[in-house]
Amino acid sequence: MVRYIIKRILYIIPTLFIVAFLIFFLVHLIPGDPALVILGEDASPENVKVVRETLGLDKPLYTQFVLWIGKVGMGDFGRSIFTKRPVIDDILERFPVTLVLTTLAMIFSLLIALPPGIYAAVHHNTRKDYTFMFCTILGVSIPGFWLGLMALLFFSVKLGWFPTIGFVPMWEDFFVGFRYMVLPSMTLGLFMAAVVARMIRSSMLEVLRLEYVTHARAKGLGEWKVIGKHALKNAFGPTLTTIGIQYGMLLGGAVITETVFSLPGLGKYLVLSIYSRDYPVVQGCILFFALTYMVINLVVDILYVYFDPRIVYE
Amino acid sequence: MMTWQRLVAHKTGMLGLVIILLNVSVAFTAPWVATHDPLGMDILNRDAPPSMDHIFGTDDYGRDIFSRVVYGTRISLYISLLSVLVAMVCGIGIGAFSGYYRGWADTVIMRFMDALMSFPAILLAIGIMAVRGGHINNVVIALGVVYTPRFARIVRGSFLSLKEKEFVEAAVAGGNGDLVIIFRHILPNCMAPIIVQATVSLAYAILAEAALSFLGLGAPPPAPSWGNILSDARNFMLDAPWMTIFPGIAITFSVLGFNLLGDALRDVLDPRLK
Repeated sequence: MVRYIIKRILYIIPTLFIVAFLIFFLVHLIPGDPALVILGEDASPENVKVVRETLGLDKPLYTQFVLWIGKVGMGDFGRSIFTKRPVIDDILERFPVTLVLTTLAMIFSLLIALPPGIYAAVHHNTRKDYTFMFCTILGVSIPGFWLGLMALLFFSVKLGWFPTIGFVPMWEDFFVGFRYMVLPSMTLGLFMAAVVARMIRSSMLEVLRLEYVTHARAKGLGEWKVIGKHALKNAFGPTLTTIGIQYGMLLGGAVITETVFSLPGLGKYLVLSIYSRDYPVVQGCILFFALTYMVINLVVDILYVYFDPRIVYE
Repeated sequence: MMTWQRLVAHKTGMLGLVIILLNVSVAFTAPWVATHDPLGMDILNRDAPPSMDHIFGTDDYGRDIFSRVVYGTRISLYISLLSVLVAMVCGIGIGAFSGYYRGWADTVIMRFMDALMSFPAILLAIGIMAVRGGHINNVVIALGVVYTPRFARIVRGSFLSLKEKEFVEAAVAGGNGDLVIIFRHILPNCMAPIIVQATVSLAYAILAEAALSFLGLGAPPPAPSWGNILSDARNFMLDAPWMTIFPGIAITFSVLGFNLLGDALRDVLDPRLK
């Protein structure tokens, strides 16, 4: 087990290196001189030269990359051009908001995906199953940001159930903070709910056909015990992988949801940094998002072993 | 039963196809379907609710929302079709090369593809748009890059298993060149998953394009893309909700069509997944 975990962690390193390489060169392809962005278009050539030297922009690109990757390895993502603060500080300040949003969205999506997914598998090829399938396709077809706007319009403005715009951290006032997060997490989680529900349905369908399930039934176990205790555990493995992959969608979706609901998370910070061409922040945020995604998938792979111990031996 | 007959018998798949055909027809006949100029401003009719003259109402510049939504179909379909085509061509090329020749090039290329897939899709597109700037063709490139690894992986996987089949051995023994074996013998046999992936990617591309435009990183204003219309409408949501409602329905309707067809194709072409 430990060997497997170490192997998976080591596997991340080359991918992370290529990701960092891609981000670095992507950001350096942005037209315009960062020194001019800092000083303004009217800056004198002497001042531009000094800033370029300070930022290390006068060095060859590969030297800049080696220096940058070395610093990133030490947790130094550079400084924001505008706030002058270390990028990592800004990221760590905003990331909890994104983490809470995506985690709540994931919990919400699992809560609404699992029961109908299992139910549809048990009632395979019936009208209930077809209705379920249509609803899940509809779920993946609705744009999350539009759903967010509609939810704001109906639940906040019309019914007054939830606050419209604003944010209170849940770690400061849990219940008030939670009220602010309900609509964003629900609208963000709907897409994932639909995908997970479909996955659990098809995994359950495969498992329910296996002999050990027939055997459990033959032993006289109740149907829900067969499904809940015997079938679900084996069906959950592939679903877990889907959850890991979908978490990436949640991180991407958070960028838009945070913009719609004005949440001060990492996604909104990234978008604002793109507007203001704050390159170190753009670079740092995208790298941090990719790293988070990889770590989540690593955790999912390790959890997978719990549901299917054969993985370790393969 | 033939594939086409099975598809015709698939009710939701046919519903999807009808929706897609409807969208395509609207895109082609936009100048005749639209009741007003999508960019034409009517200051006296700003924020007007739906009426006989403006069936979806007007926006803050007095532009007719219905006409903008109709023209938005063109932009949306243009970007999604072209980006998926770019992804398909690049993905098939990369996947076929990797799967057929294997070796160190395969390892390097697939690590590169893995790295591209390590980004949440929309984030990678946002990153590319930040570099290239807001333009319709840049959205095509960004989404094309984002979806290329998915096609590459599918094609490589199919090539790995098909290369070991006897018909390929026979083609090699027959003295055929690599290109003939790849394009005439192996590729036609892995079209089913490619078609399914293409249809599903079209749905995602429409959503991604709308999201990028909504963030101000897609088609530049005043182009009437659905994301742009929603982005404009956001500030007037309370007083003029019609500005938000109709473009969103158009996006959902269009994406639903591709998703329904994609699902049906999956059932028809690969019944094991049903």
